[in-house]
Amino acid sequence: MSATLPPLASGTASGKLPLLVRATHLFAGDRSLHKQLLLWLLLPQLVLWLAAAFVTYNVAARYANRAIDASLSQATRALARQVKPIGNGLFIDFPRAAQDIIEADPDDRVYYMVSTPPGQFILGSRKLPQPPLTAAPRLGEPYFYDGMIDKTPIRLAGLYVAYGDGKSRQLLLVQIARSRASRDELARSILGDTVLPLSGLILLMSMIVWAGIRAGLAPLARLRALVEDRAPNDLAPLRIDTAPQELRSLARALNDLLAAVHESVAAQRRFVNDAAHQLRTPLAGLKSQTELALGENADPALAARLARVHESAVRSAHLVNQLLSLARAEPESALAQQTARVDLRELARELTAEWVPRALQAQVDLGVEEAADDAPPVIVRGHALLLREALQNLVDNAIRYAGAASEVTVSVRREGAFGVVEVSDTGPGIPPDLHRAVFERFVRATHEGSGCGLGLAIVRSIAERHSGQVSLESLLPHGLRVRISLPLAR
Amino acid sequence: MNLLLAEDDAILADALTEQLRHAGFETEHAPNGAVAEFLLLKQQWDLCILDLGLPMVDGLTVLQRVRQRKPELPVLVLTALDDLQSRVAGLNAGADDYLTKPFDFPELEARLRALLRRSHSSPVANASMAMGALVFERDSRRASIDGAPLELSPREWTLLDLLLTRRDRVVTKEEVAQAWSSERAEPGGNNSIEVYIHRLRRKLEGSGLSIRTVRGLGYLLEALRPS
Repeated sequence: MSATLPPLASGTASGKLPLLVRATHLFAGDRSLHKQLLLWLLLPQLVLWLAAAFVTYNVAARYANRAIDASLSQATRALARQVKPIGNGLFIDFPRAAQDIIEADPDDRVYYMVSTPPGQFILGSRKLPQPPLTAAPRLGEPYFYDGMIDKTPIRLAGLYVAYGDGKSRQLLLVQIARSRASRDELARSILGDTVLPLSGLILLMSMIVWAGIRAGLAPLARLRALVEDRAPNDLAPLRIDTAPQELRSLARALNDLLAAVHESVAAQRRFVNDAAHQLRTPLAGLKSQTELALGENADPALAARLARVHESAVRSAHLVNQLLSLARAEPESALAQQTARVDLRELARELTAEWVPRALQAQVDLGVEEAADDAPPVIVRGHALLLREALQNLVDNAIRYAGAASEVTVSVRREGAFGVVEVSDTGPGIPPDLHRAVFERFVRATHEGSGCGLGLAIVRSIAERHSGQVSLESLLPHGLRVRISLPLAR
Repeated sequence: MNLLLAEDDAILADALTEQLRHAGFETEHAPNGAVAEFLLLKQQWDLCILDLGLPMVDGLTVLQRVRQRKPELPVLVLTALDDLQSRVAGLNAGADDYLTKPFDFPELEARLRALLRRSHSSPVANASMAMGALVFERDSRRASIDGAPLELSPREWTLLDLLLTRRDRVVTKEEVAQAWSSERAEPGGNNSIEVYIHRLRRKLEGSGLSIRTVRGLGYLLEALRPS
């Protein structure tokens, strides 16, 4: 029986893979691996099950025949023994008792016949079909064969016995027949007794195969989840600790690819970084030269042109700085590993103080919202330099776009589990329908000033790296409030 | 004021030299690290502006070598590299300040002057100061506006000294309180800073200087803009 059992699914799942690939014309390739494996494992099992049932039935029938043949053989011999030659005749002592035994089974019709070949009836309950004719019949050993009587199948035993010798030698055929009803019954019950447990076994097997396929394919599902759940810019290698060989090599191939992509992204970043650095010195030269020329030149037309050149240089310088900031804010930058406890209030005060001179030049009143003396510190865990950069961008933006005579206020406070930094201004603000778009790179809400449209993108990138958020809010009667909230350090 | 500018970009160096001369610095230019090192060690300088990416000998090496011989010389590092590592390396090598290109010249000038004020090598710059019509003489502890003597209490003196040293930059209330306590001037709490600022403002009337209140932070001394 064990030969009909398929090997355990977990081993088979991987072993059959190449075969499956070759057999795609039979089992469509886009069917799920799960279904393909089930089909491949359970279909042969079903065929084997049918074959086993067929074989079992035949084997059972043969054993049933053998048992019946044995009893028929016994009965014929017993009957033959009752036939005794007396002189020229035969004395057949067929006691009632023996007849009783032969006819004991009420369900099974038993017939007997004694005859002298070829087919001369001497006595019996019925005329029975003759055994296959042979030239020299075998003596003392019964023939077994199938026949029909009243359109019901019967099993017959025919025993040839010889009496006398020489010329008086006489052949006698003793036949006993039995309907095959009991034999079929027996075979059927043997089949029933075998097939039922076999079906149970097949069912159990199928469940094991199904579970095995599930278990075998589980690492694949894990791999899928790993790939699906990761952020698009996360190029760290996949970590699969427990997986079959095949999947491990797939994961390794994926990791090689990820590493290659990572390397190429890093190379591009390095290029942007290097290019930005290389641009800085000539831009500084351009700026200084135009500033100088502006101071020296008396021709107003030329001075106006120079002023445009200077403005453009200032703008380019700003763009280069912002590009570098953005590169720094990306997760792959070298700063990624260095986190520390940062006091947002302290940072805001320090940075605002630093920016006051520039604000005064732009005629902007920059200040900090005073906190109560007993206000707790607002400490987050993060990259001090990046957080400073984020805040600096907000203050810079506010000064840049709020315009002369406006007020810019930085405030820091705790809100639940978050530290919140807000930069509010009394400038023209940003129309609410642009609040979302201005976080995109190179999107600007205004065409005035020398901004480059990277400031808020940098701020968002940095906030997100600290698991925080940035939002905009319009103020009344006019103005804008940008709010960064970051989870407090524990 | 002698200043050495070590910068390899000819166009930037040319313009910067001119701007620095306009601002009153006697400026000498070194186009590479070797010349910069030679000049820095051979002559007396009040200030040095050093680019880190110099040819022949890089700026950091120049800085380290010069530091051993001239620990007092104020050095401002001017560089295109502004990542953390470069910044830390520059400051570790002994830079007094760090400014990234491209920069605004007024900011560079302000930082250079701040370096000079902090520097011990030029006590002359520290001893007396003139801003607008105000003359502030630390040695003799005398101050005057347009020649007229200005009477200042010890607290007012300390406050004005601090504001002058950090002019155009924010002086926080905490810093004022700290300066007072370290000078053992007459006692008083944080609240009285406003009072002293108020008094000082009145005394500085006509000097062309103004003390600006910076909301939530402190004060800032600036020259009044001609309106």
